[in-house]
Amino acid sequence: MKKTRRLATALTAFALIALPGMTGSGTASANATSCLLCHNAMSGKATTASGAEIELRINSNLFQASVHGSMACTECHQAFTENPHTAPDQAVADDLKKLSSTIAKKAKVDPVAYSACSTCHSDVYQSVMTSVHGKNIAEKGAADGALCLDCHGGPHGIVKSTDENSPVNRKHVVATCANCHADEKLAAKYGHEANIMESYNESFHGKKYTLGHTKAPTCVNCHGYHDIKSKSDPASPVFGTINKTKTCGNCHKGANATFVGAITHKPAGPIPHYAELGLIVLTMGTIAFTIAHVLLEAYSDIRDVVFRKKEEEEETKNESYNECA
Amino acid sequence: MSHTMSVPKDVPAEIERFDLIFRIQHVLMFTTFLILSFTGWGLKYAHVEVSSWWIRIWGGAETAGIIHRVAGVTMLLDFIFHVGYLIYLTAQGKLKFRKETTLIPLPKDIVDVVQNFMYFLGFTRKKPQFAKFSYAQKFDYWAVFWGMFIIGFSGFALAFPILVSGLFPESTSGWIWQLLGIMHSDEALLAIVFILFWHFYNEHLKPEIFPMSWVWITGKISTAELKHRHPLEYDLHFGEGKPEKKEV
Repeated sequence: MKKTRRLATALTAFALIALPGMTGSGTASANATSCLLCHNAMSGKATTASGAEIELRINSNLFQASVHGSMACTECHQAFTENPHTAPDQAVADDLKKLSSTIAKKAKVDPVAYSACSTCHSDVYQSVMTSVHGKNIAEKGAADGALCLDCHGGPHGIVKSTDENSPVNRKHVVATCANCHADEKLAAKYGHEANIMESYNESFHGKKYTLGHTKAPTCVNCHGYHDIKSKSDPASPVFGTINKTKTCGNCHKGANATFVGAITHKPAGPIPHYAELGLIVLTMGTIAFTIAHVLLEAYSDIRDVVFRKKEEEEETKNESYNECA
Repeated sequence: MSHTMSVPKDVPAEIERFDLIFRIQHVLMFTTFLILSFTGWGLKYAHVEVSSWWIRIWGGAETAGIIHRVAGVTMLLDFIFHVGYLIYLTAQGKLKFRKETTLIPLPKDIVDVVQNFMYFLGFTRKKPQFAKFSYAQKFDYWAVFWGMFIIGFSGFALAFPILVSGLFPESTSGWIWQLLGIMHSDEALLAIVFILFWHFYNEHLKPEIFPMSWVWITGKISTAELKHRHPLEYDLHFGEGKPEKKEV
């Protein structure tokens, strides 16, 4: 039933879109145009043999506006494991095949297509595979760790990082990291500190970033990105004092061992904690005294003006000032 | 003004309370204080949406940061100048310690606080008799000193962290910056709230002073007001058998 309906939708879409589409001036390759004839018009979801749920619709406008808009679909989707498509008439390179089996658990929808990023972006892909994110997938076989698309967005709408709509653009990159690093379940599973995003947001870096400071660092400025390492990895730019001194020194010339403690995700230790407690008590005490004093004085001033004015004047006339000295 | 007190004819109509140099120090202090409060508030509450708008009014985060640092350094220099000026006046013999004119807290101030509260509550009809500076004014003054050491020092450290990091041993790295941040931010909030209530009530909103005490501009206080609000100082200068003295 489901398949029939899908086929009907595709055919209708063909009738509606194909003819005007053929004369259209899209930048997509001929290959992509013919795929998009149907996929731009389809709706609903389907489940692949690997158990992944996919959206059938590919928004052709977004795809064509993306950096990959002029590519053919089959440049990434080199192999299909199931109907209704006929497998493209090409052999998948051995290294792609190998990579696709490495990341198969993560890239359930189309491991070959996901691996195909490496065809053009081989340097980046290699450095990702040495990162804590890449190793998590390649070595531990995790299905929930980050890979290309978790940071760069949907596969058919990737835009340049300098584009404000990119999830890795400066404007959004902190929120993108927070997708996982503010997630309590993932924090528990991977042993992240739970307050990573809060501590950033409350730091001077985070506050300036929030207020639109154009030079305030985001996550990636200290931690790196494609080759990002765990903070306990000696290769991490934030591992140990020596690396931190160098990393902080990129912006803060002359950063030293004392200085690098200024920014941390660690919760406040006992000294700042009790100092803050003491200051809160002091502040509350002072404010309570001040407000009580001001309100009582205001009350007595009003009372004096309204009820005691004459009385007081007479009183003070007869008073000697030396009395109370 | 509620003080309709008369003073003898041989007493001058007004005397100088703050000289021009003190008045300039005060203007510098409150303008920098307001600028620091306005720009710092936006940073302290950066997570509140309206703060981004507020900081844009100050020229954006970078500019607001520069304004805040310039104002902070100006305030610190003002403070240092103030202390230097006091030392100078003392060395010149123009500033002498007298219990009637000093800003230093004395036991009598505590007695005055208690008596004033009793007066507020109606337990006594007698207001405390103040010297040149009432306990409220002393409190106001020393609060700035406290603020200069706590907020001023931490602010300087946060503005010039590399420079200041040389002062602290490496072992403090784990907590010193958080401590400085807390000191700066929490005490600044205290200072703002304190000024808003204490200074504004005592020097602006009080019925007998509203809209403000003009002494910050003129530097002069009428002897009638002096007699009413600072009777002990009045007596020192113009009391019976005491010729006018120059020290104020």
